[in-house]
Amino acid sequence: MLLGTCLGLFLPLAGFLILMVSSNYIGRKLTGIIACTTIFIAFISFASLLLIYTKNGMSPTTLTLYRWIPIENINADFTLFIDPLSLLMALIITGVGFLIHLYSIGYMEHDEDFARYFACLNFFVFSMLLLVLAGQLIVLFVGWEGVGLASYLLIGFYYYRPAAAQAATKAFVVNRIGDFGFLLGLLLTFYLFGTSDIEEIIKRAGEYAVGAPILILLTLLYFIGAIGKSAQLPLHIWLPDAMEGPTPVSALIHAATMVTAGVYLVVRMHLVFMQAPIALQIVGIIGGVTSLFAALCAVGQLDLKRVLAYSTVSQLGLMFLACGVGAFYAAMFHLTSHAFIKALLFLSAGNVIHMMGGTTDMKKMGGLSKKFPKTHWLFLIGVLALSGIPPFAAFFSKDLILEQDYLAGYYTLYGIGLAASILTAFYLTRAYCLTFTGAPRLEDKILKATKEAPAIMLLPVAILALLSIFGGFLGFEFGKPPPLERFLEEVGITLAESEPNINLFLRPETWMSIIGAILGLGSSALLYTLFADRLGHPLSLLRKSFYIDEIYDKVFVKPLKAFARLIAQIIEPKVFDNSIQAIVRATWKIAHWLQNLQSGLIRSYVAWMITGMVLLIAYFVS
Amino acid sequence: MDISFLIFISMAMFAIGIIGVLAMRNALIFFLSIELMLNASNLLFVSFARLWGNQIGLVWVFFVLVVAASEAAVGLAIIINLFRSKQVVDVDQYDVLRG
Repeated sequence: MLLGTCLGLFLPLAGFLILMVSSNYIGRKLTGIIACTTIFIAFISFASLLLIYTKNGMSPTTLTLYRWIPIENINADFTLFIDPLSLLMALIITGVGFLIHLYSIGYMEHDEDFARYFACLNFFVFSMLLLVLAGQLIVLFVGWEGVGLASYLLIGFYYYRPAAAQAATKAFVVNRIGDFGFLLGLLLTFYLFGTSDIEEIIKRAGEYAVGAPILILLTLLYFIGAIGKSAQLPLHIWLPDAMEGPTPVSALIHAATMVTAGVYLVVRMHLVFMQAPIALQIVGIIGGVTSLFAALCAVGQLDLKRVLAYSTVSQLGLMFLACGVGAFYAAMFHLTSHAFIKALLFLSAGNVIHMMGGTTDMKKMGGLSKKFPKTHWLFLIGVLALSGIPPFAAFFSKDLILEQDYLAGYYTLYGIGLAASILTAFYLTRAYCLTFTGAPRLEDKILKATKEAPAIMLLPVAILALLSIFGGFLGFEFGKPPPLERFLEEVGITLAESEPNINLFLRPETWMSIIGAILGLGSSALLYTLFADRLGHPLSLLRKSFYIDEIYDKVFVKPLKAFARLIAQIIEPKVFDNSIQAIVRATWKIAHWLQNLQSGLIRSYVAWMITGMVLLIAYFVS
Repeated sequence: MDISFLIFISMAMFAIGIIGVLAMRNALIFFLSIELMLNASNLLFVSFARLWGNQIGLVWVFFVLVVAASEAAVGLAIIINLFRSKQVVDVDQYDVLRG
């Protein structure tokens, strides 16, 4: 138990350290092997934990590694906590993470900083594992910050490109705003409970009355952290820009690590959130609004990766929507299936981008299905799966979210979610059509050089495609509760309303979402294949993502910069510099005056000595 | 002999020493003046030892003599070196430690 967990958690860290220290001495092949095997062994150890769990049953276990902060009345040990929820997350992280590592060997083959890349990737996986396995919020916070750091390093991997450096800084700064909220929440936790042990917090929070203002504040502070990490409105701006990193990194950020942290936090603390229904409603509303908003933005994007990025924001919004109505199981289910599908989409898009020499602009693509006979099928599977076409994975999970909204009586949220999922089908199909169908829009020279990706880049994607096709059956089984629900039920993560739908196509809501998905898919396919030539540019409102970046620039960045300039150019030189200069001048003057005393003449020293002696004698005698 | 006479002699010697140090620029005279002051104190030690029949004062005199002898050895060496560097023994010429 302890061994399996520690092995799984610390092997990626070991991989990171080895690669960091010895990057100059070991070859590219060995680098790739070290990076992949550490993650793979981690995956195996978590999988064996799962095996033990399903065979013998396992009560949630807390493993105390050591006492971290020994202060009286404050319990802040370094503990790990294993229960079905964290095990599920760890499996997703290491499983999808391993596939992405494998893929990266192919994707980064021409890059000089091979070792740095893999070191950061391993560190990313380690931080995320620490985040999900943490038994104490303060340990979770360490992982939380580690994830932020790793994302900064990887988004800014091509640090010599100004856009990448800016995107990395933006991601870090925006995350910091969210982290600040979470940190305040952490301090409030210590103030209220004197501990950051998650189980203890949940127990103690249960003693408060439902809807206690302090709990609302606490949960909202947690949620601010979740907003930052999971890129929800209004802190979503970093995620689309994070596309500056290498494509596998985007896959890792979007599928396995980083953005799922916010959802995980809310689900992990869901019993506390249940104590504050108002906070939970805010979670749901923000999730719903974000999902619709991001889906609209995705429709207008011209960059393939940015479409996928906004799609992630939208899907995360759906997860929070599910949390908002109390359907935490649905959120986790969607998180799982989304992890597979989004990794699939990003990696197959990565195939195209890589083989075309880094082009991400969809205006230059088109008609690539002949060039990428395998990749385009994989991408299509991803598109169908995320659109919610049965029997692909996201059909079950997204349908479950919408169904739960409907049953819980949140009809507005249901409508928003439905609209977002129709748009999902629409923009994904649009991306597919613009990239793979129609007439090639690329220059002939580049087009001729483009060919299908190598096997090492196809194999992980194919595995992900299989997972995307069959992953839905984790949460669906004919005639009885699905395995994932039985798995998560033990930690109290269940559905909000009623039993899950165990018979296929029973409810009208299910039909609604299928029809919606087909509608979105069909209309988009029609528009962008038959009428692709006649379509103008997308609305600039959508292309610019509702001008959010520009608004933030005007409202926050410009005034802050002006303020900084005021300090740097006026207050600093006039006030601080001058006062320090005055002190310097005064000291210098005094020193100059005192200098006269030291004449270097022995006789004058003697005279001073005698004067002193006389004064002393006079003092003692009188 | 009257003790007050001896104290007077001693004070006079000391005063001459101080004046010599302050007024004279020659390093050798400077040095002699210091010896004069040391011996003024010696005289005082001996006088009071005699007055009170106490031998401790006499012991101190030997200490002072030893110190004076070693000081003479070191001091003369310094003066010789000073002379070698500038060919003068005027102490006012050696003000290189001026601030």
